[in-house]
Amino acid sequence: MTKLFQILAVLAVAGAPVLAHHSFAMYDHTRTVTLKGEVTKFQWTNPHAYLDIDVGQKDGTTKHYSIEMTSINMMTRLGWRSNMIKAGDRVSVTMAPLLNGEPSGLMLDVTLPDGKKLEPGVPAVQTFKRTLPED
Amino acid sequence: MRIFSFGVLAILCAVTLGAQQKTAAPPNISGAWERFGFNLGQPTADGQRRDGTAPPRSEQPTLKPAFQKEYQDRLAAIRDANAKGAPIATGAVQCLGEGMPAMMQATFPIEFLQSPGQVTVIEEAFTQVRRIRLDQPQKKIEDVEPGFYGHSVGHWEGDTLVVDTIGIKENIRYQNVPHSDQMRIREKIHLATPDILWDEITIEDPVVLEKPFNVYYAFRRMPNYTLLEYICEDNREFRDANGIQQIHVNK
Repeated sequence: MTKLFQILAVLAVAGAPVLAHHSFAMYDHTRTVTLKGEVTKFQWTNPHAYLDIDVGQKDGTTKHYSIEMTSINMMTRLGWRSNMIKAGDRVSVTMAPLLNGEPSGLMLDVTLPDGKKLEPGVPAVQTFKRTLPED
Repeated sequence: MRIFSFGVLAILCAVTLGAQQKTAAPPNISGAWERFGFNLGQPTADGQRRDGTAPPRSEQPTLKPAFQKEYQDRLAAIRDANAKGAPIATGAVQCLGEGMPAMMQATFPIEFLQSPGQVTVIEEAFTQVRRIRLDQPQKKIEDVEPGFYGHSVGHWEGDTLVVDTIGIKENIRYQNVPHSDQMRIREKIHLATPDILWDEITIEDPVVLEKPFNVYYAFRRMPNYTLLEYICEDNREFRDANGIQQIHVNK
């Protein structure tokens, strides 16, 4: 079932025209950052949704990230629902970081606790170069 | 008397035919539609794409010399800003609707609603609405307050909805092309197949353009789709003092 969902999600992304209202030029297109952390909020809003997570650091502290997604209308058409992620969920996020170094980025995909991998349908997603996780 | 009778008959026939033409039901274009045909591959020599139901390739505008530099400089500035990672803020950054004719790009699904005397078009993104009044005379440009969607009148010519739009604010630009208050947008909206709708748009502006240019959009019927609401509830993007797109980061 998970597999089927993944296939459907990929098909939806491949088959749907993904057009943009906004420029995503302020995000780094040359590398991705992989964050593993605990969700503090999944905000289901327009113009874009946000996923807030706390990420444990090597020194024992926690760093907070607020990760931008796409429009909830686009996400809904790709199969997303507002209850798919909850506070407390441990997730892994691949994001294109903000160029200015602030603790934020554009989500390219998220892996949920049950292993489901979802994409929010970023326009021209192939223009973001994916790099391996640092750890 | 015979000539008179024949004349009356001819007039009656003409009136009846005219009435029949007038009352022929327009095609049903009501419902939800999604943009279609822009990714079907390279256009062939005649401008058509591989799939015959996709529209011809849109034309580039030819501007008068006085406006050409401003237009090219603007396009170059957008390219440079994107390359630097500091994009120039568009209206969308401030959650403003695209206006006409950009709304008809249908970045998100659009809906046509046919009601007596009016065709209404709704674009899901930014909840944009335009109203096309049917069988009304167009106003004079100077009698229309400029807006995002302008003043649209239309009528059915057979199976084609012919629409005339004036009164677009000069800062509401289609693909960064400057325009004057004399801009006029003509549309021919018709079904290419029962489930593919074309919008053939001609943009005229005797002040800015050397000649009118045509752009084309096609839409595919979404029979089971209901347009979703779209409210800019938490817009963290903003336009800074230099006109650059920025974003607040919640910490």
